[in-house]
Parts: sequence; structure tokens; C-alpha cells
Amino acid sequence: MIEHAYLIPLIPAVASLIILFGAKEDPHSPLPWIGIGAMAFCLAISISIFAGFAAGTVALPYEHNWTWFSFATTIGGSSFVYPMSAGVLIDPATSLVLVAVTLVSLMVQVYSVAYMHDDKRYKRYFAFVSFFTAAMLGLVVSSNLLVTFMCWELMGVTSYLLIGFWFERTGPCEAQKKAFMTTKLGDCGLYLALLLIYAKVGSFQLTQIYQFFNSGYMPAAAATVCGLGILFGAMGKSAQFPLFIWLPDAMEGPTPGSALIHAATMVAAGILVVAKLYFVFLAAPIAMEAAAWIGLATAFLAAAMALVSYDIKRVLAFSTVSQLGFMMCALGCGGYTAGLFHLTTHAFFKALLFLGAGSVIHSVHTNDMRLMGGLSKKMPITFATMAVAVYAIAGLPFGSGYYSKDMILAAVWHHNHTIFWILLSAALMTAFYMTRLFALTFLGDDRDHEKHHHAHESPALITVPLVILAVFSAFAGVGLAHHGFINKVLPTPTIAVMPGAAPAATPASSASNELGATPAVATEHGTEKPEEAELPSWLSFTVIGLVIAAVLFALGMYGGSRFTAAEAIRSTFAPVVVVLDNRWYLDAVFLALVALCDQLAALAYWIDDNVVDRVFVDGWGLLMRLFAEASNFFDISLVDATVDGVGGLGNDLGLGLRSLVADGQVQEYLMYAAIAFALSATLILTR
Amino acid sequence: MTLAHYMTVSGLLFLIGIFGALTRRNIIGVLMSIELMFNAANLNLAAFDRFLHPAGAVGQTVAIFTMTVAAAEIVVGLALLLAIYRNTDTTYVEDFNLLKG
Repeated sequence: MIEHAYLIPLIPAVASLIILFGAKEDPHSPLPWIGIGAMAFCLAISISIFAGFAAGTVALPYEHNWTWFSFATTIGGSSFVYPMSAGVLIDPATSLVLVAVTLVSLMVQVYSVAYMHDDKRYKRYFAFVSFFTAAMLGLVVSSNLLVTFMCWELMGVTSYLLIGFWFERTGPCEAQKKAFMTTKLGDCGLYLALLLIYAKVGSFQLTQIYQFFNSGYMPAAAATVCGLGILFGAMGKSAQFPLFIWLPDAMEGPTPGSALIHAATMVAAGILVVAKLYFVFLAAPIAMEAAAWIGLATAFLAAAMALVSYDIKRVLAFSTVSQLGFMMCALGCGGYTAGLFHLTTHAFFKALLFLGAGSVIHSVHTNDMRLMGGLSKKMPITFATMAVAVYAIAGLPFGSGYYSKDMILAAVWHHNHTIFWILLSAALMTAFYMTRLFALTFLGDDRDHEKHHHAHESPALITVPLVILAVFSAFAGVGLAHHGFINKVLPTPTIAVMPGAAPAATPASSASNELGATPAVATEHGTEKPEEAELPSWLSFTVIGLVIAAVLFALGMYGGSRFTAAEAIRSTFAPVVVVLDNRWYLDAVFLALVALCDQLAALAYWIDDNVVDRVFVDGWGLLMRLFAEASNFFDISLVDATVDGVGGLGNDLGLGLRSLVADGQVQEYLMYAAIAFALSATLILTR
Repeated sequence: MTLAHYMTVSGLLFLIGIFGALTRRNIIGVLMSIELMFNAANLNLAAFDRFLHPAGAVGQTVAIFTMTVAAAEIVVGLALLLAIYRNTDTTYVEDFNLLKG
């Protein structure tokens, strides 16, 4: 099965083209089932690969490349023909992510059949979703960084299309532009990092780049720049501080599309690329530390914003940002396994949360949680599945989030205690705001009788995906953490030689000579990678106790039909709440930056117009004209006069000589000839 | 009798010829002077042949040729002279200016 892994991204891509061009737009078009079938097939391949790996029948990593085109290039002074190849590279981590992505995408598409059924661009939505998933799958399986980057950009385009799906309204239009521009800003960093890697390594193949780093050929400074560039790309795509501003606005798209963006594809891509290029970060401790602190800031700031929002989708969006911060922080603290583990479990429960929220919104037709409440009786299946998801994300014992978040906290604890305590506070906030969301939506009494009266359980096409995702949310954590299986699936990569330790070799030679040019010299950095450390047991129990306390606190505040205590706290801390409601004024900061750039551009234009154009261009032109006129004068009065003068002299001389000679006297001519001959002969003979 | 003697005689002959050609007013005299210069050249040819290549007779042959050509040339010259004389009634060179440019 694994030799057909290249089909995983290709099939949904083809399916999306068929859906897009296959038939006319029709609200009851059967075409979406093509996309669903394609995704089911991909899920089957992914599961077979993962199961084969778990059972030991499939050997990973598996790599297969096809030469795409080749071009002559010169890297580090040596010229060679670089065969650009496209291919698949499936390591255990990839196989796990593939299962998560295909499963979530399949569930989202099934759900969307019911959710989008009366939309006038029904078919187009499914084409976008299929293409989006195809791009993500391409990014996951690609063995070539440039292909990965292409898929990354395709995902950017498709997210633009999905966020602005209802482009008749201004909100989605603004949101799609904001998302696109913000992520593009990050993409610049990633692209520059890729170019630098190519300039140093001479290859886009992940395995060759790994060999290069592993042997310590990469200079430390270049590795740091690469790491920071990749981190910047991930900051845009995975909505890290301060580029997370696009994500809350991305809620303007259809809710299942948001689920896909937030759970499995778009935002996971940044984390995944960091994980794929984790060896770059291992070689660049500065970039690693930057990732940790940026992740930390993201986790904390986003969690704080989620505390005060009443929009159910906004809370989930902030929660996504916060969880991505957890992942990034874990990766930055050396917790590779923990970060990717959380990525996987998060994909399941966040997809479930979004789809559940979509089900609620579908039923009550509002995003405002203050108008919900008491929906547990009306929507029992949604209620039960959401309960599973909230249990998981809150990090209550034995939920999925508990295992992955526990690993993250353990990794962070062994890296830096300051980061640990801040991250723990973010985790407690997570528990609080998720419980708050749950309590406001489903518990208590109905606050808006009209809406509550019309609320109803969603159809089976919506509830079945919810139940399936709930099963995965409930058991993914415990299943993967069982007997340390996750450590086998996601072993932390190591590099044998830190940069600078090895003598600098010609970069391209290692790319062309390929593997094992130098025997890997193990240094203390490489080999002594500690096993996934556990938290001290007292701390572990403290964390569990604090999380339970946070959950109970939230239940106490928001569990009833009125939440006067919460409102009282809200009014007490009004300035803080205002700051949080305005998302830390980051939008304003960015707008101010844009305005500043605008001013700078105006200033630059003025300088260009008045200084450069007027002084340099016009002045240079004037100078040239003066010079040309001087040159012309010189030409006419000196050069031309000389030429004319020489010609005139010859003319005058001839006329003068002729006037000396008598007219037509042959003997006189002969005499002159004789004299000339005699003179010449004398001159020649006496020389 | 060495080559130098012959050379001297032929040089004198040539100079006399030049002098005559430049100074004679009568066209007949000019033609005669030109003949002198011809003969100076012929004498040179014969003398060089005799002293430098005694085995062969190339130079003397060329001298014979030159005499022949000179005779023909004199014929043409005298014919022209007669034609000019009939037209202008004079044999003085300074009156001949038909070819003035």
C-alpha cells in the first residue's frame, strides 16, 4: 500500500477538479460525494500505512522520488546539474499526521453535506475543501522542500477562498484579505530560509538537507537565520504571536471550513513544517529559544482573549491559537514528541469542537453564547460529543489533551521553569474558558426562549461525524500514549554534530556525494538527548488539581442560568476586559504599522519626486546637456575648423603652385619632373 | 676600358639629352635630344650585359629592341610634328599649348 502513497495528495486534487468543472452548480448536486469518496480512499491508505507501521509490517521512513526536471547550478563554487525531484517521504510522524488530516477532512466533508445543503455555491465549497486537503496532504508527504512550499502556498490560496466563501458580505472579504496578507508576510521568511538552505546545501531534498546538518557542515549563523526564517513562516501560517491577528477573523468562513482550517490543515502546516525541519532548530539554539518564547506568548495571550469573548466561534479560534502556542512552545523546548502528539490530539478534538459549535449555530442561528444555554436537552448528541471534546481540551485526567499537554508541560519543565509556570497558567485558562463555553451553551436554563424553542438536534449527517470524532478524541490520547507508543511513532530527531564542530567542507560535495560523506562524530550535544522526561509526581498532581479547580470554578461561575458573579468580576476588571476584547490592541498596532508604512511610502515618494527626480535625474540631464553643448562648441570651432583648414590648405597650396607654372609649356613640366627626379635620386642614393 | 668608362659616357649622353630637351626651342631639336637619352640607355644596357653577364646576350637584345621602338616612336613623333606644323605654322615648343588644362 505504501508504494501508492503518492496517490494521497493526488486523488483529492483530481476530485476537487472534477467537482469544480464536472457539472453545473446545483444545491442537490451529488458531486460532493466524489470528494468524500476520494478522502475515504486516502484515509484507507493512511490507516493501512499507520497500522502497518504499528504492527511492524511496513518499514518507515519510506522515500521514493521521481525526477521532475533538472537544471545546472553552482553552489559553493562547484557546478553540477541538480535533478529536481518530487516525491514522497513518509516517516512515522508523517503517517500519524496523515491519518489525522484525512480523518478530520473526511468528517468535515460528510458534515458539510448537511451543513451547506442550501447554499447556492454548494458544489464549489466541496471543491475548495478537497483542494485544501490535497494541498495539506501534499505538504505532509512531500520529500522536497520546494514542493512542500508550493503546497504551503496553495493552502494559502485555498484558505483565502474558503474564508471569503460568502464574498457578497464585506466581513468575509476583509477577513480573507487579512488572512492572506498576514500569512504571506510570514511566507516571505520561510521562502528566504528555503533559498538560504538551497544556497548552502545545494538540494531541496529533506534527507539530503538532514545529512548536511547532521554532519555539521551548516555554519551556525546560517542555521540560525534559516531557523528564524522557518519560524517566521510558521508564525504566519500557524497563527503565532504577533501574526495571529488573521485567525479570529477567519471565522467569517463556513463553520466546517473553519474546522478544517483550525484543526487539521492550515494552522497545523506551520507546526508541521517546523517539525519537518526540526534539525535546523537543533542546529540553531537561538531559533529554538525564540520558538519557545513566541509559542509561550501566543499560548498565554490567546488564552486570555478567550476568557472574555461571548462569540462561540471566537472562543474556539482563540483556543486554537493558544493550543498552537502550546505546540510551538513544546517544539522550542525540545519536546518534539509532545508538540506533534498535541498536534494530533488537537486535530481531533478541535475539529469536533468546531463541528459541534457549527451544529449549535445551525440550530439556534446565532454565535452569541449569551443567547444560548440549556441546549443539553434539545441537542443530546451534540451535547455529549462536545462534552468529550471539552473534557479532552481542558486537560482533565485521561482525556486526549491530558496526555499530550502533560508531555508538553514535562518537556517545558525540563527546559525552563519560568516558561513552565506561564504555560501552566495558560493551560488553566484553557480549562476555564472551555468549561465556560460548555456551560454557557449547554448547561443552565434557556436564556433566549425564542431561540431555545426552535433549537433541534441536527440531522444524522452532522451527528455521525461528531460521534466518530468524539471516539477519536476520547481514545487518541490514551491509545497513542499507551506503553510509550508515541515515543516510537514520534522519536525526537537528533543531529550528530553541532554546526562549527566539523571542518567546513565544500557544501555541494555533500549534496552530490550524498549520504555518509563523513562518519558522524557524536558529541555531547547529539547523543545525550534525554528520553521524554516525566514531570515530578508532586507537580503532576498539582497540575491535575489546578485544572480540576479551574474547571469547577468555571462551572460555578457560568453553570447557572445567570452569571452575575462573572459579570461582577468583569466590571471590576473592566480595563483589562476591554484590552482583551480588543485582542490586546494588536490589530491597532498592525494598523498603525500599516499607516506608518503608508506615511513612509508617501515620504519616500516625495523624496523620489523632489530629490531623486529633480536633483539627480533632472540635474544629471541638465549637466549632460551643458556638457554636450560645450562638446558641440569644441567640435565645431576646433575639430571641424582643423579638418576644414587642412583641406583648405591643400586646396590653396595646389592653386598657388599651379599659378607658378606657365601655361601648357611641356618643357617646363619636363624640367620640374627632372628636378623632382634628380632630387629624389639624390636623396635615395645619398642616404 | 672598364664599366665606369661606359657609365660615364652614357651619363654624359643622358645629361646632354636632358639639357637639349629642356632648352631647345625647336621641336626637332627636342626630338633629337630624346634620341640621345635613348642611346644613353642603350649604351648602359650593352655595357652592363658585357661586363656583368658576358655569357649571354639578353641586354644587347633589349638594346636592339629599344632602337626599334625608338625608330617607331620617332616616326610617330615626326608625323605628329608635321600635323602640328600644318595647323600652327610653327615648330617652336613654347607655342604649343593645345593640351593646356
